[in-house]
Amino acid sequence: MLKTAYKRWLCAFLFFFMAAAVAIPQDAPSLPPAATEFVQMILSRSGSPSAVAVTFQNLSSLSSEAQEAIQNAIFNGFRSANIRVVKPEQAVADVHITFSEDWRGYVWIASIQQGSSSQTVIKKLPRQQPVQSAHSTTLTIRKIPVWQQDAPILDFYQDNQNLVVLEPGQLSLYSLDSGQWRPRQTLGIPHQNPWPRDMRGRLEVRGGEINVFLPGARCSGKLSPPSLDCRASDDPWAIGERLVAFFSPRRNFFNGLLAGSSAGASVAPFFFGATWQSGDQRVWLFSGTDGHTRLFQNDLGTPVATFNGWGSTLAPVHSICGSGWQVLTSSPADTSRPDSVQAIEISGREALPVSAPVDFSGTVEALWTAGNYGQVVNGVLHSQSGKYEAFTLTVICNQ
Amino acid sequence: MKRLLLQLFVISSFLLLATGAFGGSRPRYGGTVRILLHDRVLSIDPLGDEDRPAARDRMAALAFENLTEVDAQGHLRPGLALSWHADAAKRAWQFRLRLANFHDGTVLTAADVAASLAKSNPAWKYSAPDRQTVSIETSSPVQQLPQLPELLALPRYAIVKRQADGNNAAILIGTGSYRLTQWQAGEHAQFTANEDYWGGRPFADSIEFQMGASLRDQLMDRQLGSCAATELSVDQIRNVEQNNQTVMLSRPADLLALVFLQPDSGVRPGRKPVDARIRQALGLAINRAAISNVIFQRRAMPASGLLPQWLTGYEFMFGGATNIDRAKELRADAAAFVVISPIVLAYDFADPLARLAAERIAVDAREAGIVVQPYAESHIYSKASRASINADALLLRVPLHSLEPSVALVARADDLGLSQENIPAILGATRPEDLLEMERKLLENNRVLPVAHVPQVLWLNSMAHNWQQLLNGEWNLDQLWVEGAR
Repeated sequence: MLKTAYKRWLCAFLFFFMAAAVAIPQDAPSLPPAATEFVQMILSRSGSPSAVAVTFQNLSSLSSEAQEAIQNAIFNGFRSANIRVVKPEQAVADVHITFSEDWRGYVWIASIQQGSSSQTVIKKLPRQQPVQSAHSTTLTIRKIPVWQQDAPILDFYQDNQNLVVLEPGQLSLYSLDSGQWRPRQTLGIPHQNPWPRDMRGRLEVRGGEINVFLPGARCSGKLSPPSLDCRASDDPWAIGERLVAFFSPRRNFFNGLLAGSSAGASVAPFFFGATWQSGDQRVWLFSGTDGHTRLFQNDLGTPVATFNGWGSTLAPVHSICGSGWQVLTSSPADTSRPDSVQAIEISGREALPVSAPVDFSGTVEALWTAGNYGQVVNGVLHSQSGKYEAFTLTVICNQ
Repeated sequence: MKRLLLQLFVISSFLLLATGAFGGSRPRYGGTVRILLHDRVLSIDPLGDEDRPAARDRMAALAFENLTEVDAQGHLRPGLALSWHADAAKRAWQFRLRLANFHDGTVLTAADVAASLAKSNPAWKYSAPDRQTVSIETSSPVQQLPQLPELLALPRYAIVKRQADGNNAAILIGTGSYRLTQWQAGEHAQFTANEDYWGGRPFADSIEFQMGASLRDQLMDRQLGSCAATELSVDQIRNVEQNNQTVMLSRPADLLALVFLQPDSGVRPGRKPVDARIRQALGLAINRAAISNVIFQRRAMPASGLLPQWLTGYEFMFGGATNIDRAKELRADAAAFVVISPIVLAYDFADPLARLAAERIAVDAREAGIVVQPYAESHIYSKASRASINADALLLRVPLHSLEPSVALVARADDLGLSQENIPAILGATRPEDLLEMERKLLENNRVLPVAHVPQVLWLNSMAHNWQQLLNGEWNLDQLWVEGAR
């Protein structure tokens, strides 16, 4: 038993190590090089005077350390261009530089005074994004970014060689090449009727076979050679292991009618559902469209407990911590506030938080349990910057 | 100790989960959203000379769409146009339309778009190379329009199909996510979800606007909890915040400005132009910091430019400091050549804060020896009404229409009734320093005296979700949903 768990853990570790290696780097602009460009702009506008007097003013949120570094870079820029930086009385031109900012980023303004003529040079620079932080507690949720793009992401799949991104109008395939995902092919998803608002979709890839579930549509195809065939369909969606449910074709929820091994059973309409085997008990959890999350044990007749105040997005994750199964759930926030994800463990009829919330700079749009023995949860974030990010989550036990 | 910490963590986390009044970030369908508006809107026509254009635009955005739109992050996004491109000179543009239907069921075509835009701006040339493509060209071969996609996101460029009814009155048909189903001018409007909207049916079944609600009514209704949102003025924030209510405050985006009416229009007999030195002196006499800090309770920012510092980063370059000594000198200079008459200043009768600001300006002016006589006027925003107002100047509060500085400057110049001759140069500006110079030019004759940048304030019911207030105070109700509905 322990040996099996160890193997799974090693497998998960290797998987995340690889995923981390291909994660997208953050492009943070470096301010001192920008300062050199700014000096070039000043000189090209002012005709490279032989000697300048330079003064500074900071109206922005730049720290004094950053300001000093930029000032030094500006002085160096003048010197490298063979322009002497002198006192005002010896200067051919006075350059007054203001570090200002607008809502998008920094705005550097140089007012150049040469005799009776004056000129203004403005350079705009994007502001660096704050780095996300995660709390550390008894059980840690680890997030690994996988992919980021402007277009909406509904779901994704990744393995050692392939990244498949499901978008409302297409399926994008990428291949791993020198540690970077490179576009391989795009497969269109034709559809007749407008997609519902708050569009949702599910992507399942098993043994090279692709299955896509969309509201009122179903696609199937292959990874290699890439192919996808779509048709109008009300087929139930495969939500996870042993959970199949019908999706409302013009809305954003499952209508509560279940299929597959639970065919014939029905529950209240829900946004996300989860099921797992805990010892000799089968457990189901559904985040209802009425805001209540319902827990079922062994049968789907009556919920054994109802929880309020949960987010609508949830997914089970298999780990070697605690009882072996946790549920990752989003916070009860709407898009006006940043989201978070927390691990919950079901103990009897109670739900116990077993991790601190991990903050996200946006809304967690989807959480789907992925392959690898259910140890990975694929997530989609609609970030506050407007971009969509695919990421994976796993839980790590703290000693 | 470790065990105690663990227990505390579990308890605190559980409390965190339990305190959410209603779970779920996923939007719910159904329900009616009721919104109280302070202003009374008489027509929803985006091109009408409406006395309350800002309130009109808020409602019109539900029914009418533009080729492009700006999202909450300020990024330009496709609207009715899926894509666009320009020639190398940025003079001729082509917009590829998406498949969309008007509310009457007819398909949106390039000809519809061209006809609608021709009403918005007759100066440009339009053509429809095919059913889904619209071409727009500037009338002058030298004029560039690098910001045309941003410009087309302005409310006045909304795509509207105009038809005449039996009485020859115009019926306006849009493509938006809601369609107008009830309209009582100045009183009430109801918008119902467009089931066939290209972007998917909106979440709420309907959105209702109650117009002209008094501030007292608004407070009463908030207590009753019957509305989803209501506009507030800055002086009401404290009352609401004390009750732990949700207040959304935009950036200080609206411009409160004193605008001297054009004296040469000849429609205001008996009024002489205010001397340029007196206009400059008044600009130096106004204590903008006091108006922002006292009347607007530190929520506003003193204004020296037409666009706020947070939008451009260079507003500080326009100065704006009070200088009574210099103001007195200018007044004395003017007095040597002309008879200085009192300046009659009209302010919006429906805006109590505008009255306070006008009175404060009068007090400041008196220090420089200038007499300003404020009075309340009911129609200062309609351009037609402005021409017949018997005043020397208006105290206007105009919204910030765009987060793109050049487009915002063009719209602001239009709202303030400034000369249109600089517009092509503003739209053609490719560098921020060029735009700075254009703004300086618009301000140099002191026909507009910026006073303060003022935020828009909104009270929001906790049952309403995904209400997006953009940085400039505009509402984006595209993803709005309410609890308690299915």
